[in-house]
Amino acid sequence: MLIKQKFYTILIFASTVLLSSCSDSKQYETAMCALADTSGTYAKEKKNMVKIIKAGIIPKLVPGDNLFLITIGSNSYGEKNLKGKLTLDYRPSQANKQRIEFANVLDKFGKDKSSAKYTDISGAMMLCSGYLKSTQAGTQIMFIFSDMKEELKAGLKRSFDKDEFTNMNIVAMNVTKLNADTTDPQVYRSRMKKWEKRVLKHSAESWNATLAPTDISEYIDNLK
Amino acid sequence: MSNLYIWPEMPFLSIATLVFASMIFLYLARTPMHLAFQSLDDGIAGGMAKISSWINSLVSKMREKSKKVLLESSIADCEQKIAQEFKRVDVGYTKHLADYPKLHLKIDENIAIIAADFKDCGQAVPKAPGWCDTVESITQMQGVASGDRVVEKMLKELQKTAIDGEKAALSEMRKTSTKRHKILSGLAPTWNKILKSMNTVNTKVALALETSGKIQKYMEHYDSISKGGADSIDMLSAKATKLFIFSVLVIIIAGFGAFINFNLIALPMSELVPAGTRVLGLQVSDVSALVIVLLEIVLGIFLMEALGITNIFPQISSMTLGKRRIVLIASLLGLFFLASVEAALAVLREHIAETNAATTQALAGKAATSSTEGDSNITTIGQATLGFTLPWILAMVAVPLEMLIESSQHVLNKLLILIILLVGYVIGIIGHLISTIMKTFLHIYDAYIIIPTQIGTLIKSKS
Repeated sequence: MLIKQKFYTILIFASTVLLSSCSDSKQYETAMCALADTSGTYAKEKKNMVKIIKAGIIPKLVPGDNLFLITIGSNSYGEKNLKGKLTLDYRPSQANKQRIEFANVLDKFGKDKSSAKYTDISGAMMLCSGYLKSTQAGTQIMFIFSDMKEELKAGLKRSFDKDEFTNMNIVAMNVTKLNADTTDPQVYRSRMKKWEKRVLKHSAESWNATLAPTDISEYIDNLK
Repeated sequence: MSNLYIWPEMPFLSIATLVFASMIFLYLARTPMHLAFQSLDDGIAGGMAKISSWINSLVSKMREKSKKVLLESSIADCEQKIAQEFKRVDVGYTKHLADYPKLHLKIDENIAIIAADFKDCGQAVPKAPGWCDTVESITQMQGVASGDRVVEKMLKELQKTAIDGEKAALSEMRKTSTKRHKILSGLAPTWNKILKSMNTVNTKVALALETSGKIQKYMEHYDSISKGGADSIDMLSAKATKLFIFSVLVIIIAGFGAFINFNLIALPMSELVPAGTRVLGLQVSDVSALVIVLLEIVLGIFLMEALGITNIFPQISSMTLGKRRIVLIASLLGLFFLASVEAALAVLREHIAETNAATTQALAGKAATSSTEGDSNITTIGQATLGFTLPWILAMVAVPLEMLIESSQHVLNKLLILIILLVGYVIGIIGHLISTIMKTFLHIYDAYIIIPTQIGTLIKSKS
């Protein structure tokens, strides 16, 4: 009788441990967001952007990971700015098909020659923040492909929440230098410093503005 | 410090007064202070010494118990081996002795054939015809010497008849000899049969002798262990340690094998078991791959048990031969099934890897480099072979696993004894150090109050 009781106790304990050890895999997943500037002179960088995303970011996605493509335009905080969304299937064969399909979306985007008049970086960042948060992924990365010079259209209001970028790692990629930057490097430096202060103030996990396209893979591996 | 001065303007005098007052106080409190330190010494150092001695006695008890366990397990092992040999002898004798009447009958039949043939070969020398006596009688007749023609004719006839008789006898003799030689040559297969039967007997007797030799060896071993001498204990301990080290080494190597096996099937399993849920941080597909590897090990354990190589589950070893055969066949089939599944998964893995590489190249904007068909097949065949072979190799892990379980009890006990002994020594050393510090402190105490002590002794001696 006593042995039976002990057996049942062990069985219940083992079942509880096993059930409690079953968890959702969200914390192991990665959500990434690529913000592509389509305004002014940076619109010419589209092809380069697509190349970096295809060769550096997509191959690093593993089943369950998310990738969003958002454009930076005159008013970026709108659903129309979401050009593509990818959630990789857990089956490798399906995941490969999805990668190719997303690459086609990127190619289509790269060929589009339209450009925006204004540069609403903050709006795109806020939109991206919302998408990244919705995934509840353990690692969240925001890649901004822009010259980081914001020009808001009159009437637009962009202020971040205190916890706008909680748990997010923000990377300014392929930041091109403007004429004013080459004339006075301090203009460029102070602009980047300002962005760093701004994102870190709003709870960003990290800020990086010097990442080379070839180092993306290593950067993502270190964050995971 | 200056706060302690009685007269702040005269620090030297203040210090001297404090020292003098403390000396007087400590001199007066000498006996209770000595008693207090003594008690503290007894309490701490004595307690530690007691703990140390308790540890020593615990260690000797553990050693005794370990020896007892080692001896008992070795005796049980020896008994099992002897029982196994006896079982083998029993099976062998039952089978061979059952065969023996047949063999004996066979030999008897062959011998009877030989005896009959031998009888048939008996040589009957044909007798010379009785003409010699007749010839002798004729020669003694009158007129033989005178050349009687009748006698001469008679003798000639006799000669002719004698020659004919001799020829006939010789012919008869040759016929009999040929027949005899035929019978003798027909004996050869029968001799061979007897020789073969005798060889069978010889082999079986040699086997029986070998088994009895083994039993003799085990009995001697059993006898020496039963006596429980120091030499036997040392020998058993060394044997257990050696077994432990080797089994750990083999298990580590098997662990690497299991790791390779796991990696071979983990990726294709994600194609078969796609799920976002995780168990203990592992993806369900990884857990499935792990379960397959573990199942192979479990089936290997059952296979080895059914073959009688290991003895982890007494229920299996005590089964009848028929039931054990069922377990054996079930384990073999299970392993074959899992090995086939792994081979298929290995092929799928290669396919996925190729697709992944092609996708990465396509994303990077490079033209897909097509490997030659031959190379691709070699990799696939290699992976499939590896997938099929590894489960069978992993199945063998049951043997070192049993060795590890058997020997670890003694080795871990030995290790535990060593650790406890070390703790005991450390406690003993700390106790001794505390005791020495207490005594030294008491000596310093006495040295500090030497002046009032000497004055006190002087006054006491005068009074």
